[in-house]
Amino acid sequence: MNHDINIKQLRLNCFRQSKVPGEFMLQMRVPGGMVDAKYLSAVQHIAQTWGDGNFHFGTRQTFDITGIKYDDIPAVNEYLEAYIKEVDAGLCAVNMDQVAHEPAPWDPKSGYPTIGARNITACVGNYHCICGNCNTFELARKIEPIIFPSHYHIKINIAGCPNDCNKAHLCDFGIIGVAKMEYHPEHCIGCGACARACEHGATRVLSLNENTGKIEKDPCCCVGCGECVRACPTSAWTRSEKKFYRVILGGRTGRQTPRTGKMFLNWASEEVILAVLGNWQKFSAWVMNYKPEYLHGGHLIDRAGYKKFKEIILDGVELNPECLVAEDIFWHETEYRSNFNVKPMELHHKAGPEA
Amino acid sequence: MGYFVNAKQANEVLSALREKYAVYAPKRFPKQGRYSDTDIIRYAEVSCVEEIEFKEKSDYPAKEVISPVQQAIFYFTEDEYRASKGPKKPILIFARPCDISAQHIQDKIFMGNGGYEDLYYKRVREMVKFVLMECPGGDDTCFCVSMGTNKTDDYCMAVRAVDGGLKVQVTDSGFDSYFQGAQASDFTPKFVEENQLTVTPPAMEDLNDPEIRQKLHQHPMWKEFDKRCISCGSCTVACSTCTCFTTRDVIYGDNPEVGERRRVTASCQIAGFDQMAGQREFRATAGDRMRYKVLHKYHDYKAQFGDSHMCVGCGRCTHRCPELISISATVNKMNAAVAEIKAGLGK
Repeated sequence: MNHDINIKQLRLNCFRQSKVPGEFMLQMRVPGGMVDAKYLSAVQHIAQTWGDGNFHFGTRQTFDITGIKYDDIPAVNEYLEAYIKEVDAGLCAVNMDQVAHEPAPWDPKSGYPTIGARNITACVGNYHCICGNCNTFELARKIEPIIFPSHYHIKINIAGCPNDCNKAHLCDFGIIGVAKMEYHPEHCIGCGACARACEHGATRVLSLNENTGKIEKDPCCCVGCGECVRACPTSAWTRSEKKFYRVILGGRTGRQTPRTGKMFLNWASEEVILAVLGNWQKFSAWVMNYKPEYLHGGHLIDRAGYKKFKEIILDGVELNPECLVAEDIFWHETEYRSNFNVKPMELHHKAGPEA
Repeated sequence: MGYFVNAKQANEVLSALREKYAVYAPKRFPKQGRYSDTDIIRYAEVSCVEEIEFKEKSDYPAKEVISPVQQAIFYFTEDEYRASKGPKKPILIFARPCDISAQHIQDKIFMGNGGYEDLYYKRVREMVKFVLMECPGGDDTCFCVSMGTNKTDDYCMAVRAVDGGLKVQVTDSGFDSYFQGAQASDFTPKFVEENQLTVTPPAMEDLNDPEIRQKLHQHPMWKEFDKRCISCGSCTVACSTCTCFTTRDVIYGDNPEVGERRRVTASCQIAGFDQMAGQREFRATAGDRMRYKVLHKYHDYKAQFGDSHMCVGCGRCTHRCPELISISATVNKMNAAVAEIKAGLGK
């Protein structure tokens, strides 16, 4: 078989090259990992009409359909129009005629315009889970129009609680739903269930004062998980009505320097999260001299340095009064090769606009 | 007399009542539930009719108004003490028939048990009148009809929430004056006649039989709860008839001569409830504690007081259990165990 296929162009179109020459895998975005189950029939239709009949749960919660022949890609893209319009343009209110907030008319028959900003993943969150502190996929749907379509890469994982089942610690920008707890001592019977739950499942910040029969808390180390609320038989602990989020920054996997992310923001409001992400395109553009490269978001932070990142990403953001920001972040990488970062100067990456 | 009052008139009546009475009703506390974005409904003073939750059953029972989970009973300074004060105003409590029936059981325990009347309970209880909330049918955890608590006549007024206002029946004519000028209506409250659930506890004569009771105590059915029940006490806190409390002395600041003694709700389901000197516990496992509670509700109380079981079938224990243990299912298991024991004994 003789192929002349621009695979990089197809990748931007969310078709991934197969080891079988001329075959591709489609990745359909599912923001927050939650859509109406009716779309499974669209997945089935694509897989059975143009794919090899199988489908894979993408590691970033995309619907991945394997074995699509190159020649069928235009037909698949045409079929995708309804899904993209309903899910991204409809459910998430994405402006499909923009790329990175700049006008770029979209041909609805042409499939996905960019792959840079990856599908936002989420656990099921408080829509279902007894531990969840926030509605994860509704947040994902609010973030989607801020980051997509864009050639600038960012991986966002949303976890509904600090248990972080969705690995917010292992992506560029991990968001964790946290709750500020309110204590109502008049309802407390001093049973100590919350203190035991905190010790068993969280950070041991609660203790029962035997002299008062009431609970004392070391608020600085509270992770905001809500285990105390779940444990309390009398509702003496409740979650504050206002929702808060923690942001874990710069986690990644990869061949070179995998690392877990570190806390960037704590007790941020939803408005702050959205405003910070609103600066992501600007930050990425600045680092890469306004020319998107196929480069993962976490590496951009490395190139700029955390303090420069912080300056641009918080530009114009009005922090809620509870919000705490990391003054500095010191990541700990797994260096597969010792002294990985020590190399000739000409191999160093540059950041920022060229003079 | 019966009346219809629209929302505005209802609030005027409530305002007038609040001049004389403290008015308590089930009130929704948004997003204060056990799980994120869930609500809690508990008794609290209400200042407008819109605050009253008519439709859904409260998570916590009406007993909290009369015997709150925590109350100061006396204050002490060196060798002197002073009892805490009772309510300043008479109290009106909006309650469903099961809640009112439950309070009669509470009355027996606090005021008719061992020839002793509990001062702190009595002084509140004597000030209470009930406003019957016509029950719209409860939920799938309710079994008031099985327990005979679906009806009551202990109320000064009865209300039904209808579109645009309230229908009210005044049975204590002292309250008619609050409704001067209101539209007459021949409203009488309806009582629930059938629940989705039917619960039939084992016959008293079976459980009174020492041989059967001993075998039931040892029956493996209780072992299930060693693994399922987390002994959190949610069931007893939510129970409209549980009365157990402990006392706790709280010292003010760093002066051990000054402080107060509090009464605090206790639970037979929480480990340590029955711990004795020497650290011995009568019921050391969750299964033992469950058995104790269930038999208390469906045998021991009736054996002592005679007229009814302690459980009123409000279903709050089932509703609040985080481990989804159902009291009605547990009673059914107990029935099966008793039948099996009787067959084994040839009874």
